[in-house]
Amino acid sequence: MTMSDWSKVTRPIPVPNEWTKPFWDAAKRGVLALQRCQACKHFQHPPYATCVRCMGTELAFEPISGKGTIYAYTIMYHAGDKRFASAVPYASIIVEPDDAPGALMAANLLDAPYTEAKVGRRVEVVFEPLNDDITLPQFRLTHAAS
Amino acid sequence: MWEHRCKIAVSGVGFSRVTRSAELPLAAHALEAVKGAVEDSGLTMADIDGLATYPELPATGHVVIDGVTIVSVNCMMAMLKLPNLAWHVQVETVNIGGAVQQAVNALLAGVCKYAVVWRAMHNPKGTYQNLPGTFAQGPTQFTAPYGFGGPGQGMAVAYTRWLERHGQSREKMATLALTQRRHTHMNPHAYFYKQPLTREDYLNSRMVAYPFCLYDCDIPVQGAVAIVLTTADRARDLRPRPAYIAGYGQRLAFEVAGRIGSLSSYMEGGRSSSRLTWERSGFSPKDVDVAQIYDGFSASVIYGLESYGFCKEGEALDFIQDGRIELDGELPLNTFGGSLGTGRIHGLWHIIEGALQASGRAGERQVKDVKVSFVGASAPIVQGTTFIFVNEPY
Repeated sequence: MTMSDWSKVTRPIPVPNEWTKPFWDAAKRGVLALQRCQACKHFQHPPYATCVRCMGTELAFEPISGKGTIYAYTIMYHAGDKRFASAVPYASIIVEPDDAPGALMAANLLDAPYTEAKVGRRVEVVFEPLNDDITLPQFRLTHAAS
Repeated sequence: MWEHRCKIAVSGVGFSRVTRSAELPLAAHALEAVKGAVEDSGLTMADIDGLATYPELPATGHVVIDGVTIVSVNCMMAMLKLPNLAWHVQVETVNIGGAVQQAVNALLAGVCKYAVVWRAMHNPKGTYQNLPGTFAQGPTQFTAPYGFGGPGQGMAVAYTRWLERHGQSREKMATLALTQRRHTHMNPHAYFYKQPLTREDYLNSRMVAYPFCLYDCDIPVQGAVAIVLTTADRARDLRPRPAYIAGYGQRLAFEVAGRIGSLSSYMEGGRSSSRLTWERSGFSPKDVDVAQIYDGFSASVIYGLESYGFCKEGEALDFIQDGRIELDGELPLNTFGGSLGTGRIHGLWHIIEGALQASGRAGERQVKDVKVSFVGASAPIVQGTTFIFVNEPY
């Protein structure tokens, strides 16, 4: 089974805003950091104005381990966006981080055939630089040996 | 139970011609549907004093041009110039079901007598979903870089979770596509009217976003539908037999924009919306004689059947087998063909069919002895809106 070819894909580049900038700043340093309520310690993603669990307003970004499981996935066959055409079929996955249950993160499954995407499989974060400013958190399968 | 149970009814219904993509301005479709609904009721435009719609353009990345890509209340009023308009609204959330529910509330409040609700759907020529350009702003910054575009992929990820958690197989969904296509053969207003679909067609069709193949997705079309709502006492004096509204519910599954794929959110949106409808109407799933459940993507029917309480979680793909959802089955489902049969007209078609079945006006596809007719008019996570229509004010 062949890998999806990402080499010719031009991804839309995220534009950080006041809520999301710390996430992207951390990613650039090779750290996965999510927004955390300082009152109830709940992690959430994407970042939001208040804590979605306790309505707390004191929020800060804290590093997490970068390990998690595939919560859900889809295999994209239809290249609605032509920029992704060279990669189809490819796996877009939803990851639930171990440290942050419910903080579902979108990603692609890298370094594995798309057929390896399955609910419940273990994954770990890797970082894909898009340009000098933006680095994209991505995920690959965690092998038992590591 | 709701003190306003069965005090409001759906009377006339109307349909426009449906084309694959835009040939006429969308306003022409909306006008045709609204005129049809008013005529079906035996009313004139001078009687209509309430207008409501949900004008959203589902094709993303296209310019909003009133009358061409959406039909706002302003656009409709500019065409109709209703002499007696007394109330109007266009809703931004809770989808077209929310617009219908606002019209119910206005009629109950006595601020209008005959309200028209329409849904007009534009399909632009060319690409339907235009994804963000070079840059991904706002919530899309966490999805678009990974190739997540329209709602189909958001639905698809929840569907893989459902399938693999419950050890189910997507091939069973063929029964839904085939059954609904057979129902479509009895609906001359449907895009796929009398166009056959076989199990082999379904199983061999191309993948769009696994687990969705082509026949799991409704086809974008250009068209409109409309209904007339009025008070029960007024409805009884009109030409069509009324479909009484025994109850309704609406509830968002509140989500931070950009968080996608949460199966539990789909289920909670459906559970909370339908709970209100069951409580207000006094009915429960076992009382339902016929059901319309939104099917923009086939998996919405799964979330609907389970979260509304028609079957247990993980059982929906087994529930739809063995003729259970046929016209003479235990729970006839999407008897007009659903969005998979009519094309993407959104949930007002489901509401129309729920009303037609309750009033015995569904023609060749009429289910026998319908007393209680259920409608889930939108995908639960997006904007859960549910209704119960009855053939008599029980």
